[in-house]
Amino acid sequence: MSRSVWKGPFVDSYVLKKAEAARESGRNDVIKIWSRRSTILPQFVGLTFGVYNGQKHIPVNITEDMIGQKFGEYSPTRTYYGHAADKKAKRK
Amino acid sequence: MARIAGVNIPTGKRVPIALTYITGIGHTSAKAICEELKIEPSRRVNELSDQEVIQIREHIDANYTVEGDLRRDVQMNVKRLMDLGCYRGLRHRRNLPVRGQRTHTNARTRKGPAKAIAGKKK
Repeated sequence: MSRSVWKGPFVDSYVLKKAEAARESGRNDVIKIWSRRSTILPQFVGLTFGVYNGQKHIPVNITEDMIGQKFGEYSPTRTYYGHAADKKAKRK
Repeated sequence: MARIAGVNIPTGKRVPIALTYITGIGHTSAKAICEELKIEPSRRVNELSDQEVIQIREHIDANYTVEGDLRRDVQMNVKRLMDLGCYRGLRHRRNLPVRGQRTHTNARTRKGPAKAIAGKKK
Protein backbone atom coordinates (compact mmCIF):
# COMPACT_ATOMS: atom_id res chain seq x y z
CA MET A 1 0.00 0.00 0.00
CA SER A 2 1.33 3.44 -0.80
CA ARG A 3 1.77 6.23 1.71
CA SER A 4 -1.11 8.61 2.52
CA VAL A 5 -0.86 11.86 0.60
CA TRP A 6 -1.82 14.03 3.59
CA LYS A 7 1.38 13.04 5.38
CA GLY A 8 3.57 14.43 2.64
CA PRO A 9 6.78 12.77 1.50
CA PHE A 10 9.06 11.36 4.18
CA VAL A 11 12.55 12.87 4.43
CA ASP A 12 14.93 12.67 7.38
CA SER A 13 15.39 16.24 8.62
CA TYR A 14 19.18 16.12 8.56
CA VAL A 15 19.09 15.42 4.82
CA LEU A 16 17.06 18.59 4.27
CA LYS A 17 19.50 20.61 6.40
CA LYS A 18 22.55 19.27 4.58
CA ALA A 19 20.99 19.88 1.16
CA GLU A 20 20.05 23.43 2.12
CA ALA A 21 23.60 24.15 3.33
CA ALA A 22 25.11 22.68 0.17
CA ARG A 23 22.96 24.81 -2.08
CA GLU A 24 23.75 27.99 -0.18
CA SER A 25 27.50 27.35 -0.27
CA GLY A 26 27.15 26.73 -4.00
CA ARG A 27 29.85 24.08 -4.11
CA ASN A 28 28.85 20.73 -5.50
CA ASP A 29 30.50 18.43 -3.00
CA VAL A 30 29.23 14.94 -2.35
CA ILE A 31 26.74 15.14 0.51
CA LYS A 32 27.20 12.03 2.63
CA ILE A 33 23.91 10.62 3.89
CA TRP A 34 22.93 7.43 5.61
CA SER A 35 19.21 7.91 5.14
CA ARG A 36 18.36 5.48 2.35
CA ARG A 37 14.70 5.70 3.35
CA SER A 38 14.29 9.38 2.48
CA THR A 39 12.28 10.45 -0.54
CA ILE A 40 14.06 12.39 -3.28
CA LEU A 41 12.49 15.86 -3.42
CA PRO A 42 12.47 18.33 -6.34
CA GLN A 43 14.87 20.67 -4.50
CA PHE A 44 17.55 17.95 -4.50
CA VAL A 45 17.86 17.95 -8.30
CA GLY A 46 21.41 18.76 -9.43
CA LEU A 47 23.03 17.89 -6.11
CA THR A 48 25.23 14.87 -5.61
CA PHE A 49 24.56 12.63 -2.63
CA GLY A 50 26.79 9.90 -1.29
CA VAL A 51 24.23 7.29 -0.33
CA TYR A 52 25.50 4.73 2.20
CA ASN A 53 25.08 1.10 1.18
CA GLY A 54 26.30 -0.42 4.44
CA GLN A 55 29.94 -0.28 3.38
CA LYS A 56 30.62 2.98 1.60
CA HIS A 57 28.89 6.05 0.17
CA ILE A 58 27.86 5.62 -3.45
CA PRO A 59 27.80 8.98 -5.29
CA VAL A 60 24.41 9.61 -6.90
CA ASN A 61 23.76 12.58 -9.14
CA ILE A 62 20.11 13.50 -8.70
CA THR A 63 18.16 14.11 -11.92
CA GLU A 64 14.56 15.09 -12.49
CA ASP A 65 13.45 11.53 -13.25
CA MET A 66 14.47 10.37 -9.77
CA ILE A 67 11.98 12.60 -7.90
CA GLY A 68 9.60 10.62 -5.73
CA GLN A 69 11.81 7.58 -5.40
CA LYS A 70 13.99 6.74 -2.41
CA PHE A 71 17.74 7.30 -2.11
CA GLY A 72 18.26 3.63 -1.30
CA GLU A 73 17.14 2.62 -4.78
CA TYR A 74 20.33 4.10 -6.23
CA SER A 75 22.81 2.46 -3.92
CA PRO A 76 22.75 -1.34 -4.21
CA THR A 77 23.54 -3.18 -0.99
CA ARG A 78 24.48 -6.55 -2.45
CA THR A 79 27.26 -7.56 -4.78
CA TYR A 80 26.74 -10.65 -6.88
CA TYR A 81 29.44 -12.06 -9.09
CA GLY A 82 27.57 -15.16 -10.25
CA HIS A 83 27.86 -18.73 -9.06
CA ALA A 84 31.14 -20.64 -8.91
CA ALA A 85 29.51 -23.61 -10.67
CA ASP A 86 28.56 -21.45 -13.66
CA LYS A 87 32.15 -20.29 -14.09
CA LYS A 88 33.50 -23.84 -13.96
CA ALA A 89 31.02 -24.92 -16.62
CA LYS A 90 32.10 -22.07 -18.88
CA ARG A 91 35.82 -22.89 -18.58
CA LYS A 92 35.35 -26.39 -19.98
CA MET B 1 -13.71 -9.19 -41.82
CA ALA B 2 -13.35 -6.21 -39.55
CA ARG B 3 -10.15 -4.29 -39.17
CA ILE B 4 -9.95 -2.31 -35.96
CA ALA B 5 -6.89 -0.47 -34.66
CA GLY B 6 -4.59 -1.48 -37.49
CA VAL B 7 -3.95 -5.17 -37.83
CA ASN B 8 -6.55 -6.92 -35.70
CA ILE B 9 -9.18 -8.94 -37.53
CA PRO B 10 -11.27 -10.77 -34.93
CA THR B 11 -14.52 -12.10 -36.40
CA GLY B 12 -17.29 -14.58 -35.62
CA LYS B 13 -16.96 -13.98 -31.90
CA ARG B 14 -19.10 -11.84 -29.58
CA VAL B 15 -18.11 -8.19 -29.76
CA PRO B 16 -16.65 -7.74 -26.22
CA ILE B 17 -14.59 -10.92 -26.63
CA ALA B 18 -13.38 -10.04 -30.13
CA LEU B 19 -12.21 -6.63 -28.96
CA THR B 20 -9.90 -8.20 -26.37
CA TYR B 21 -7.79 -9.52 -29.28
CA ILE B 22 -6.45 -5.97 -29.53
CA THR B 23 -3.41 -5.41 -27.33
CA GLY B 24 -4.39 -2.89 -24.69
CA ILE B 25 -8.11 -3.76 -24.65
CA GLY B 26 -9.12 -6.20 -21.92
CA HIS B 27 -12.51 -7.40 -20.79
CA THR B 28 -13.23 -4.26 -18.78
CA SER B 29 -12.48 -1.73 -21.51
CA ALA B 30 -14.15 -3.96 -24.14
CA LYS B 31 -17.36 -3.97 -22.11
CA ALA B 32 -17.07 -0.22 -21.57
CA ILE B 33 -16.76 0.36 -25.32
CA CYS B 34 -19.89 -1.69 -26.03
CA GLU B 35 -21.83 0.21 -23.40
CA GLU B 36 -20.66 3.57 -24.67
CA LEU B 37 -21.65 2.81 -28.26
CA LYS B 38 -24.92 1.03 -27.31
CA ILE B 39 -23.90 -2.27 -28.88
CA GLU B 40 -25.52 -5.40 -27.41
CA PRO B 41 -22.73 -7.57 -25.89
CA SER B 42 -24.44 -10.70 -27.26
CA ARG B 43 -24.00 -9.62 -30.88
CA ARG B 44 -21.19 -10.98 -32.99
CA VAL B 45 -18.65 -9.07 -35.04
CA ASN B 46 -19.95 -10.29 -38.40
CA GLU B 47 -23.45 -9.02 -37.46
CA LEU B 48 -22.18 -5.46 -37.04
CA SER B 49 -22.95 -2.89 -39.70
CA ASP B 50 -20.07 -1.00 -41.36
CA GLN B 51 -21.30 2.08 -39.57
CA GLU B 52 -20.85 0.42 -36.17
CA VAL B 53 -17.39 -0.90 -37.02
CA ILE B 54 -16.32 2.60 -37.96
CA GLN B 55 -17.80 3.90 -34.70
CA ILE B 56 -15.80 1.36 -32.68
CA ARG B 57 -12.62 2.19 -34.59
CA GLU B 58 -12.99 5.90 -33.98
CA HIS B 59 -13.87 5.41 -30.32
CA ILE B 60 -10.73 3.31 -29.73
CA ASP B 61 -8.50 5.72 -31.66
CA ALA B 62 -9.75 8.61 -29.57
CA ASN B 63 -9.75 7.06 -26.10
CA TYR B 64 -7.30 4.16 -25.84
CA THR B 65 -3.59 3.51 -26.30
CA VAL B 66 -3.35 0.23 -28.19
CA GLU B 67 -1.05 -2.10 -30.14
CA GLY B 68 2.28 -0.61 -31.25
CA ASP B 69 1.83 2.65 -29.38
CA LEU B 70 1.14 0.80 -26.13
CA ARG B 71 4.06 -1.56 -26.61
CA ARG B 72 6.35 1.38 -27.28
CA ASP B 73 5.08 3.17 -24.16
CA VAL B 74 5.80 0.14 -21.98
CA GLN B 75 9.22 -0.30 -23.51
CA MET B 76 10.05 3.37 -22.97
CA ASN B 77 9.06 3.07 -19.29
CA VAL B 78 11.32 0.05 -18.83
CA LYS B 79 14.16 1.78 -20.67
CA ARG B 80 13.79 4.85 -18.46
CA LEU B 81 14.19 2.69 -15.36
CA MET B 82 17.24 0.96 -16.84
CA ASP B 83 18.93 4.25 -17.71
CA LEU B 84 18.33 5.70 -14.25
CA GLY B 85 20.47 3.09 -12.53
CA CYS B 86 17.86 2.52 -9.84
CA TYR B 87 17.09 -0.83 -8.26
CA ARG B 88 14.11 -1.56 -10.48
CA GLY B 89 16.24 -0.82 -13.54
CA LEU B 90 18.95 -3.21 -12.38
CA ARG B 91 16.37 -5.97 -11.99
CA HIS B 92 15.08 -5.34 -15.51
CA ARG B 93 18.65 -5.49 -16.87
CA ARG B 94 19.25 -8.82 -15.19
CA ASN B 95 15.85 -10.18 -16.26
CA LEU B 96 14.90 -10.92 -12.66
CA PRO B 97 11.64 -10.16 -10.82
CA VAL B 98 11.30 -6.42 -10.22
CA ARG B 99 8.84 -6.27 -7.34
CA GLY B 100 10.65 -8.04 -4.54
CA GLN B 101 9.53 -11.61 -5.21
CA ARG B 102 11.72 -14.51 -4.07
CA THR B 103 14.26 -15.88 -6.51
CA HIS B 104 15.62 -18.78 -4.44
CA THR B 105 12.95 -20.89 -6.11
CA ASN B 106 10.31 -20.05 -8.71
CA ALA B 107 10.58 -16.75 -10.65
CA ARG B 108 10.60 -18.91 -13.79
CA THR B 109 8.55 -16.43 -15.80
CA ARG B 110 11.40 -13.93 -15.69
CA LYS B 111 14.32 -16.34 -15.54
CA GLY B 112 13.13 -18.66 -18.32
CA PRO B 113 13.33 -22.46 -18.29
CA ALA B 114 15.47 -23.98 -15.54
CA LYS B 115 19.08 -24.69 -16.46
CA ALA B 116 20.65 -27.85 -15.05
CA ILE B 117 23.69 -27.21 -12.88
CA ALA B 118 26.48 -29.77 -13.37
CA GLY B 119 27.53 -31.68 -10.26
CA LYS B 120 24.93 -30.23 -7.94
CA LYS B 121 23.55 -33.50 -6.52
CA LYS B 122 25.75 -35.93 -4.58
